[in-house]
Amino acid sequence: MSQDQETKIVTDESVPPPEHHEAGLNDNGTILDDRGRRTFLKRAALGGGGALLAGAGSYAFVKSELKGEPVSDYPMIDEAIFKPKDQRDTILTFIHNEALGKKHPERNIQYNKLQNKNFNMHTGFADMYGLPWDNSKPGYTQLDRALQQAGWEPLVVAGSRYVANLQPDTPLHAWDQSAVVDEQFQFESEKHAGDAIKSAARVFGAVKCGIARRDKRWDYDPLYDLENSKELSWEKDFPFVPKTVIVMLVPMDYDAMATAPAWTADGTAADGYTKSSVLANQMTKFLHGLGYQAVGAGNDLGSSVPYAIMAGLGEGGRNGALLSPGIGPRHRICKVYTDFEFVEYDQPHTWGITDFCLSCGKCADACPPGAIPKMESENGGYGFEPNYEFSDEPGYTWNNHHGIKKFYSDAKKCYNFWVENGSACGACIASCTFNEPDMWHHVFIMGITPKTPGFLHAWMAELHPKFGYGSTGDPKKAEKFWKTGEGMRTNTEMKNNIGTSNKS
Amino acid sequence: MELMQWFFMGVLFTIGVFGLSYLSLKVKLKWYTWACLITGIIAILFGIGWAGGSFLEGVAQSGAMGLIIFSGGGLILLLLTWRYLVAPELEPEGS
Repeated sequence: MSQDQETKIVTDESVPPPEHHEAGLNDNGTILDDRGRRTFLKRAALGGGGALLAGAGSYAFVKSELKGEPVSDYPMIDEAIFKPKDQRDTILTFIHNEALGKKHPERNIQYNKLQNKNFNMHTGFADMYGLPWDNSKPGYTQLDRALQQAGWEPLVVAGSRYVANLQPDTPLHAWDQSAVVDEQFQFESEKHAGDAIKSAARVFGAVKCGIARRDKRWDYDPLYDLENSKELSWEKDFPFVPKTVIVMLVPMDYDAMATAPAWTADGTAADGYTKSSVLANQMTKFLHGLGYQAVGAGNDLGSSVPYAIMAGLGEGGRNGALLSPGIGPRHRICKVYTDFEFVEYDQPHTWGITDFCLSCGKCADACPPGAIPKMESENGGYGFEPNYEFSDEPGYTWNNHHGIKKFYSDAKKCYNFWVENGSACGACIASCTFNEPDMWHHVFIMGITPKTPGFLHAWMAELHPKFGYGSTGDPKKAEKFWKTGEGMRTNTEMKNNIGTSNKS
Repeated sequence: MELMQWFFMGVLFTIGVFGLSYLSLKVKLKWYTWACLITGIIAILFGIGWAGGSFLEGVAQSGAMGLIIFSGGGLILLLLTWRYLVAPELEPEGS
């Protein structure tokens, strides 16, 4: 092209508005010339790079939020009314021991009088499993009963079934310390010890593991051997002075729990008890092999939820369970008491979960017998004393551990429903807003929850069921569960838990 | 399936970035117009990602809600922004 021609084009009257040329568009304003292409690609790269950086920043933010914030105000205790809990006054020990029933007949009488029931707490458990199946009722079929019984079976074979009922010193959680090796392994540092224990926990199947100092406030005192109706002392009967409590969580299956209160849900609960008992047993053996004394525990020895909170694994929920970020209440807790103390301890954290519970109440709405305090209760059901129905009646709250700021529920009504239902329930687990499968969008919501203004929590809780999560009593869920194994040769998903193990 | 979902979202993301880059050459827009356009595209992508995750976990209702609320909301925002803030800038003067 000659110099004259170039000059002619630029000065031609048909040239479009100058901004097209400035932007690098051609004469008709659509196709890019070379300069335009460069500008286009430069801006695309800048925009795309900026978006990727923003995405990476969001990911880092969510990951950081999932670690939670350390808290210094847990536990809040009213010293005037708090005292260690006598194991005999827990519901699961009381109902399994006839001697305790004879000692406190007034408890059953009062319950029946106030609740207008004709319920025998001490024969209830046998009645529960004796309820016949109905193969026309999804979730209550022979299939579901078989799943439930199979879930418990390893504990039955191991003679440790009553570990769920706080029975101490069962074969899987034996107090015998004769297997402790003589030579004690010396860790390089407290962190080395903590990392090693949590690595072992991961191998044994823990989805989360935290380490807390032994705290007498959470230990049942006195302990009680309900199989032999015998009081046990920490000082005289327990084989050593515990210094540390290792707390581990075992997941329960999302789809099975979603069937609650159907028997199918109890299948994964039973399986959870079995797996958590094996896990505690293995961790105990691991510590024995390192030369340290240890005793495993399920529900026995101490209250699992406060220990798990002290170990930084979650927060207390309205339903009385530990709500752990990622799996919410869909887990079983086991503990290992040990005299080993050269270890890096975890500390309580918050993810805004208990605050969220104050605005949610979905578990209370879903609870078939109404055993969980509703939002409308005084202070939303959150306080140092139970304030559920009839909690003002003298002696009615014998099963609660008074003096700790938390949500108190009526375990007697809960247990009564189990018996009527023919199995444990789990509706408060299935309906919980924090009970989610392991998918990125739930991780995202969990990550932003602590930074979400409180007034939005109620709205988020309302959206949870509208998005199809958390409904209970739906027979279709039992039908769906029994198809979850369809086509499976290898379980490639394992999507029931957010991968936050060892990240307390 | 999950891989396909992320691949599909990557394609949409690339189209979105190229589209906005092209638009930036074609017309000068106010900052809030850009904010609306970018928010709309992010909302559409978020909804698709949400739906993909929900369908994979077997909760179709969540997938549908995600598409309606996030992607639908994003699409509406994009359309309104285009109609009232972008299109007038593209029209030749005097038309």
